[in-house]
Amino acid sequence: MDENNIPGSTEPQAAAPTVATLPNVVKVQKAFSLPGIGFCLATAPDMSLIYTGLSDFSILRANLSAEKIEPSAVGANGHTSYVMGLVRCGETIVSGGYDCSLIWWQAESGEIIRRVADAHGKWIRMLAASPDQTRIASVADDMLTKLWDAATGECLATWGDYDLKTPQGFPSMLYAVAYSADGKWLATGDRTGRVLVRDATNGQLAATIETPVMYTWDPTARRHSIGGIRSLAFSNDSSQLAVGGMGKVGNIDHLEGVSRIEVFNWQTGTRRFEIEDSKHKGLVEALQFGPGDAYLVSAGGDNSGFVSVWNMADGKLLTQDKAPMHVHDFELSTDGRSVTAVGHQQGAVIDLFSVQS
Amino acid sequence: MFRIAKSGICIPAHHAVSRRGFLSDGTIRAAGAVTVAGCFASDMGQIHALRSEEVANELRKQDKRVILLWLAGGASQFETWDPKPGAKTGGPFRAIQTNATGVHISELLPELAQRMQHTAIIRSLNTKIADHGRGADLMETGRLKDPSILYPDLGAVVARELGRLESKVPDYVSLYTSTEGRRKGTSGFLGARYAPMFLSESMIPPNIARLETVSEIDHHDRAALRDALGRRFAASRRNHTVDSQNSAYQRVNGLMASAELFDITKEPAEVQARYGPTQFGHQCLIARRLIEAGVPFVKVARAWWDSHGQNFETHQELCADLDHSMSVLLDDLEQRGLLKNTLVITLGEFGRTPQINSSLGRDHFASAWSCSLSGLGIRGGVAYGKTDPEGHTVVEGEASAADLFATILSALKIDHKHEYTVGARPVPLADFGSKPIAEVLS
Repeated sequence: MDENNIPGSTEPQAAAPTVATLPNVVKVQKAFSLPGIGFCLATAPDMSLIYTGLSDFSILRANLSAEKIEPSAVGANGHTSYVMGLVRCGETIVSGGYDCSLIWWQAESGEIIRRVADAHGKWIRMLAASPDQTRIASVADDMLTKLWDAATGECLATWGDYDLKTPQGFPSMLYAVAYSADGKWLATGDRTGRVLVRDATNGQLAATIETPVMYTWDPTARRHSIGGIRSLAFSNDSSQLAVGGMGKVGNIDHLEGVSRIEVFNWQTGTRRFEIEDSKHKGLVEALQFGPGDAYLVSAGGDNSGFVSVWNMADGKLLTQDKAPMHVHDFELSTDGRSVTAVGHQQGAVIDLFSVQS
Repeated sequence: MFRIAKSGICIPAHHAVSRRGFLSDGTIRAAGAVTVAGCFASDMGQIHALRSEEVANELRKQDKRVILLWLAGGASQFETWDPKPGAKTGGPFRAIQTNATGVHISELLPELAQRMQHTAIIRSLNTKIADHGRGADLMETGRLKDPSILYPDLGAVVARELGRLESKVPDYVSLYTSTEGRRKGTSGFLGARYAPMFLSESMIPPNIARLETVSEIDHHDRAALRDALGRRFAASRRNHTVDSQNSAYQRVNGLMASAELFDITKEPAEVQARYGPTQFGHQCLIARRLIEAGVPFVKVARAWWDSHGQNFETHQELCADLDHSMSVLLDDLEQRGLLKNTLVITLGEFGRTPQINSSLGRDHFASAWSCSLSGLGIRGGVAYGKTDPEGHTVVEGEASAADLFATILSALKIDHKHEYTVGARPVPLADFGSKPIAEVLS
């Protein structure tokens, strides 16, 4: 997930909306086709230009202000498998994927600046950039979190602390990583629902949060598991941590669990909200707090997609609607009124409105 | 007992064989003669009369065995035996070089990749049926279901062909502990004698333990007394019925004594550790113990591969289980000198679609998928057949379910064209028109 629109970035924060101006309508403004599954997203500061990593191993650039959005490839000879993580650091974008490599690209020209071929021992799942864009964190199924110098590509630290296997003896997976808005903390989330929050500079563990409902092990019918923590987001004041995934699943052949979010005051370990969406099923793939932490935007899906907005005063739903596709990643505009999303074969710009009745 | 006349009316089957004659041939073997809708009967007398005893006995002396690893729900060929890295349909995983030159498999099977000298892959199955029930019917029996006859599955056929009448261990053991898609298996017209000992709730057979109220000494004394009386009775009234009765009692005693075969704690701790912590690993160890004790056919079902959502995560888990458990099993069989006599098969009811759906899943697909054969009778290090670059169709070496069964039987040196006669109907072991895949046979 890209963290460009949080304090510390060059963009000013919008004022917290009043109750009267909280979004209560979600509306798709425009959608555009992608030649594969868009797994990750990075944006230019003004959101007009987006970059997305795809299942066809490419990274595409799209100008959202164009009348007809026609994504084009950024460079060539990049990844050799799905691109799962993408961040922008100044004029550079950095990508990571199932080929275990990290690649630094010149954002404008698409030139490859640097390639770290074996950045991880297994599949890279997500990247996060520090708010000052000097550090990049990566997580992978080797169950390691690695910290990289965004400018030089040097690996600065490697942190473990996760079990390599699930309690049932199967390979575990480390899906999600997020920086806090103040740049001090790094949160990661795994297959079994374990969140670790650590000091982003020295890796010292600051909190362990368990969200076991995110992980479904079926011991009887199908004998494997589904779920895991798929998204993490700190609040703008860095005090809260939202964790996204899916609730318990009956038939784990499908993503039929309800989408699920847990919000914590992570430093005290207090869970503020436990949100299960009765209307939309599937994984919460991405989360982001709105201005002033007044609301939380979530998106994801099963065979279809959704975008939901939750009131962070009481954890209740403000508004939601179907997305044109299963959403894998999104970016919320600085004013908190526009969601740019990528997902299954499509991208979309989705507006959040406040309509007075 | 009945058979179906051409008119469709059920008529007594004694035109084919009399009840008395049937019973005199072997009551126990025929005791489970199966009916379909109450209108079908098998003629075990004829079935057993068709093959010369010399041929049958020679086959049985070779101690051939089969372990079927049934990948229930349908494993993805892309994430196992027929990877397509770089294709739009290929998914995220790489193909890795195996120890067989030119043969690549999914990176999710790294341990098996180092044991390809034992294994032939068939990448060109086109079995057409992509629903669980009918697909399983087809891939368990090698032929389409026929309402007029209940076909035996592969385990029953192998039990019939390789099992020994005097054996004290089961001929066919089937382990299927997950509940989804659970199928018991069927001996069809071969009758209950070849039906599987089916273990679903526990890995140790229920109801075969000696009653606590009967001491070990009493148990043996009772068996000895029964044997003595049986022998005296048989000495003056020698016939198949009496022999069968005695044989049945011996088998029951044998089964009771075989309970330990299912108890993996009897294995050294080091061996248990090698098979790993998963239930499938434990069941593969049981399969090895059964094979070693002389059970000709063991089926271990590993459910459930039906990955409509999250196909890649599902295969990360299940392939790891398959890769490790099967690799240890192959090693263990080889180290014990059993692999040369044991055929290990991976098979399910179908494969999975090239298309990746919105839930990152793959759906049912039977038009171009894969299975593997390892060990006895197999030319290892071979990848037979070919699918197109995106895996939508077979472009080389198309094989049907019947062809696969003919291949399996040929690996066991069983004549796949050999016919059972059911009523007046000839039923070949592998379906009419089937052809073994010579390229995978040693």
